[in-house]
Amino acid sequence: MSHWIPELLSPAGSLEKLKVSVLYGANAVYLGGQKFGLRQASDNFTYEELAEGVEFAHSLGTLVYVVLNSFLHDKDLEELPEFLHLLEELKVDAVIVSDLGVIATVKKHSKLVVHLSTQASCLNVESAKLWQKMGAQRIVLGREVTIKEAAKIKKATGLEIEMFVHGSMCMAFSGNCVISNYTQGRDSNRGGCAHSCRFEYSIDFNNASVENKKAYFMSSKDLEGIRMLPEFIEAGIDSLKIEGRNKSHHYAGTISKVYSDALRFYKTHGHFLSNDMLLWEEELNKVSHRDYTTGSLDDYAGEDSIYNQREHDDNEFVVSGIVLESVVGQHLLVDVKSAFCPGETLEVMPFKGATSKLHVNFLKSISGADVLKSKPGSVVKIPYVQGAEKFNIIRKAVNS
Amino acid sequence: MKLVTYIESVHEFNEFLSHKDESLSYEIILGCSELSRYSKSSLDEMLNLINKASKNNVPAILEWDVLNQEEKFLKTVEIFDRLPLHDFKAVRVQDPGAVQYIKTKYPWLKIQLILENGNHNLEGLKKWSDYLGEQCERLVLSNELSKDMLKAYAKEIKTPIEILTFGRILLFYSARMLLSPLEKEQVQNSFIEANGTSEESPHSGFPIIENRHGTFMFNVKDLYLLDVFNELSEMGINHARIDLRFDDNFKNYLKNIVNLLSGKIQESDLSIKKNHLRPLIRGFYNINKSDVLFTKLKNKRTQRQDNNYIGEVVDVERDLQLALIIKSEGTTEITGRTLKMITPEGKEKVVTPSWMKTSLGESVVKTQKDEIVLIPYISGVTVKTQVYLNPNT
Repeated sequence: MSHWIPELLSPAGSLEKLKVSVLYGANAVYLGGQKFGLRQASDNFTYEELAEGVEFAHSLGTLVYVVLNSFLHDKDLEELPEFLHLLEELKVDAVIVSDLGVIATVKKHSKLVVHLSTQASCLNVESAKLWQKMGAQRIVLGREVTIKEAAKIKKATGLEIEMFVHGSMCMAFSGNCVISNYTQGRDSNRGGCAHSCRFEYSIDFNNASVENKKAYFMSSKDLEGIRMLPEFIEAGIDSLKIEGRNKSHHYAGTISKVYSDALRFYKTHGHFLSNDMLLWEEELNKVSHRDYTTGSLDDYAGEDSIYNQREHDDNEFVVSGIVLESVVGQHLLVDVKSAFCPGETLEVMPFKGATSKLHVNFLKSISGADVLKSKPGSVVKIPYVQGAEKFNIIRKAVNS
Repeated sequence: MKLVTYIESVHEFNEFLSHKDESLSYEIILGCSELSRYSKSSLDEMLNLINKASKNNVPAILEWDVLNQEEKFLKTVEIFDRLPLHDFKAVRVQDPGAVQYIKTKYPWLKIQLILENGNHNLEGLKKWSDYLGEQCERLVLSNELSKDMLKAYAKEIKTPIEILTFGRILLFYSARMLLSPLEKEQVQNSFIEANGTSEESPHSGFPIIENRHGTFMFNVKDLYLLDVFNELSEMGINHARIDLRFDDNFKNYLKNIVNLLSGKIQESDLSIKKNHLRPLIRGFYNINKSDVLFTKLKNKRTQRQDNNYIGEVVDVERDLQLALIIKSEGTTEITGRTLKMITPEGKEKVVTPSWMKTSLGESVVKTQKDEIVLIPYISGVTVKTQVYLNPNT
C-alpha cells in the first residue's frame, strides 16, 4: 500500500544545482531568472538555462516554479509581461509571487499558476482567504505559523499549503525588514539583503542597572523539520520547502536526498519508525548549517531559536567535487570544489541509498599528468567507483 | 493638508486640544497594546480617549497594525469585536487577514490600509484600492517611494494617500522576543527599550523595542519631510502623519508643526531640525536607487547569452589543452569551426580548434550535450570562459 506524502520542493540556484536537486529526489524545484527574484547574488537562470532546466526537470517528472517574489517597482513591472510569455512557452508549473501588483500583472498577461510567496507573510485564515480571492492557488505560509495553524488554514480555505521544512530563516516577518535598504542602499526586498541580522550588536539598555551586552541577537538558528514530518503529513501540508538557492551543491543534494529518502520510507511503510532516522539526522549535520531549531513548527519560536553566534564553518564534511563523467572501470572526471590529495578517502553520495568510500589511489589531470593536490576550479581524474554517476556529489570528512 | 498623529494619553490629548488650530483639519490615531505594535496604552485607556475624542468632535482612527498568526489573530479579533467601532472614523490595518475580516464582517467600517511594507507599484496600489472599493478610505504608502512615484500615484489613484512626514523609520519587525533573553537575569519587563550598535554596520545606535508583539528595530535617523509640505500638497498628498510617540518633546513639536501647517510660521523657523535628538533624513524621497548595486553582485560575462552557445571551459592545462563541457542541444562539430570565447574578464578570443578529443584521448569529430571534450590550449583562456560558435563564419 502506498501512503500519501507531500511534495518535496528544493532550491535550484543554478542550472547545475537544479540537476543536483532533481537527481537527489526533489519533486519540484524553485528558481529565479535574472530579474524579479530575491537572490540577486545567485547565478540564477538565463533564458537558455531556464529552458534547459525545465526540460531536464520535466523529463524526470519534477515540477518547476519560478520566483517573481521581489517587491517590484513600476519600471520592473514594465519588463515582466515579456518574461511571463517566456515562462508560459517553457511550460513552467507556477510562479511564486508576493506583491499584489505582480499578481495582477501575471493574471493579466498569462495563465500561469500563482503561488503566494512567504515574503507576503500570510499568517492566518483570513489572510489566506484574501490572497485566494486575489488569485493565489497555493500559499507559502510565513515561517511564524505552526503546523497546527497551517492545518486550520488549509481546512478553512481548501488552498494548497506550502511550508518551509529546512534551511536558514529570516528573523523578521518576511517582507518586513528593510535594514539593508537604509544602511547599505540595497533593497532587501528586491534581492539585495546584506544579512545585517547576522551581525554582532552591542546592546545598550539605557538603564544603569542593566549591563550592556554584546550579542548576535537577531541571528536565527536554521530550521530542521525532519522530526516533524509526521505532523506535516497529518496536517495535509501539500509541499515542504527547502530554503537555500544561494547554498552549495552539497547542501542542495544532501538535504534533498535526506528528506526524499525519509518521505519515500513513509510512502512505503506509513510511518517514520526507521533506524535510518538517526542516519538522516547525521546526514543533515554534514552540510554547512547553523545550530538547528524546529522554529515555529511546533510552537511559536522562542529564545532557543536564537543562534547568537558569529557565522562560522565547522562543517563535518566539505564537498570535494561533482562528477562530470563516469567511465565505467576506468575513471571519474571530477569538477573540483575543494582540494584533496592522493591517498585520501572520499565519499561518493549516490542519488539513492548509502554512500560509498572512494580511495584516491591516483589523482591525475585530464591529460594524465600526476597531480599532488587538486585545485578548485579544475577537473581531475580519480578512480572509478561502482555505481558512481554524473552529478554525484563527492565529499570529504573535514577531519579525515 | 490634514495632520494625522498618535495620541497615547489623556495628557497628550489635552495638549493636542490646546494646540489645535481651527483652520487645520486633524485626525488622531488611537491604539492599545493588544492591537498596536508600539502602544503602551491599555484597552481602558484607549476607550477613555475615544470618549474624549467623541465629545470634542476629534476624528479618531483605531490602529490595528500588528501581524498575527492564526491563534493570536483569533484572540485579537475577540478584542476587536468588543470595541465601540462606531465611535471610530476608520480602522487602520496592515495584515491582509485583518483587512479581509473587516471587509467581510464590518462592511460599513472604513479602512485605512497600511501599505508601507513594499507596494511600490501603481498596479498593486490600484488593485488594493479596487478590492476594498468605497470601504477604503485611505492608502498609507511606503516611505521608500520617491517623490516622482508619489506624484504619479497621487495623480492616478482616487483613494486619498497618506505618508509619514516626521518620525521613526521602522527597519525590522520580528515576532520573536530578542531583547529579553539578554536581560532576563536583571530586569523582567514587558516593554524593553535599548540601542544596538554593530561594528559591521556604518551606523550606530539603532533604537530597539521589545514588547508583547515581538521586536522592532528602527533606523538611527528619523524621517523628516516637514520641509516639503508644500510640494506634497501640490502633488495631491493631503495627509501628513507625524509620529511623536517616541519623543518626550511632544508638546513643543506639536505646537510647532501645527503652526507650520496653518501657515503661521515658515519651515525655516522650526527648531526641530536643530534640536531633535537623532539625525534627520529625507530617506528615499528625492530618489530611490536601491537596486543600482545589484549589477555589481555578479559577473554577467560568465553567463551564457545566445543561441550559438556551445558550452563552458571547465579546465585548463597550460600549453596543452582546454576541457569544455558541452551545453548545447544535439550534436556539435567543433574541429575546424571558428569559435568565439568570452573570458570572465570580458576578453574575446576567436579560434579554430584543429582537433577534439575525449577524456580518454580518443579523437572525435562530433560531441553531444553534457560531454567533456578537449581542444588545443589557447593562451589567455581561463575556467568559466563561455564558448560560442562564431556567427560570422
